[in-house]
Amino acid sequence: MTLWFIRGLRRGVVTTRYPARPDASAASLPTPPTFRLQALTSQTADRLAETCPSGALRRDGSVLVYDVGRCTACGRCAAAAPHAVIRSGEFELATTDRSTLIKEIPVRGEGR
Amino acid sequence: MTEDELRETIARQFGRSLHIRTLDTGSCAVCEQEIRLLAAPHYDLNRLGFFFTPAPRHADLLLVTGPMIRAFAVAARKTYDAMPGPKIVVAVGACALGGVYPDDPFTHGAVDAVLPVDVWIPGCPPSPLALLHGLGVAVGRLAEKVRDVPFTEEPYPERTRGDS
Repeated sequence: MTLWFIRGLRRGVVTTRYPARPDASAASLPTPPTFRLQALTSQTADRLAETCPSGALRRDGSVLVYDVGRCTACGRCAAAAPHAVIRSGEFELATTDRSTLIKEIPVRGEGR
Repeated sequence: MTEDELRETIARQFGRSLHIRTLDTGSCAVCEQEIRLLAAPHYDLNRLGFFFTPAPRHADLLLVTGPMIRAFAVAARKTYDAMPGPKIVVAVGACALGGVYPDDPFTHGAVDAVLPVDVWIPGCPPSPLALLHGLGVAVGRLAEKVRDVPFTEEPYPERTRGDS
């Protein structure tokens, strides 16, 4: 007990605040997808909206409405269109404004 | 009251100690597993001044998971009413944000159909890191990031308004 206490004193404070340093586990977390605008054609967008099981992707005219809050990071969109969808790596997505989670991704070839 | 003033007020009122009551409104329990991991040594939320409490009357923050089952709405409302003010409601996970069961007849589809949600934490499930970030955002210690994340590889093309 005494040794443990002295060792603790010698090391100094090891309790850190968030985020003190990048977490190693963050690299392997499932994260919502990111879209490649060049490859996101009208056809692809429709297929992605059809694929999404949780309703996070919806086609609305010239944009693909992407509700990050609804995304379960299942990866089915990336499997359906690997050329247009990549991993985002973003996981710190908390927000005090729900509307900031809804992104409008422009679809290629649709005028706006 | 501006957003900055509101943040300062929250930070002052909740100080360095915040007690959390978790509420499962029909989740698959994976969110609960991640929440439980917050108390593990690796994440250790006690060092940040957050504590779990079993009683809503001792709680400052309600951590709600699940799509808000209709049968549970009354209990959720009672839990919220039992909490002393000022109080924060945090919706955790894709179900709670309206993702997985939006049209299910047995659920309200999202937590904000029943409770006034202050902070939304997406993820299925949100990792303990995401939850810690969410708690930091809830008490005004950490900045929100998602507003500036475009979720496109390239930046948006210049919008030509008015000529479409």
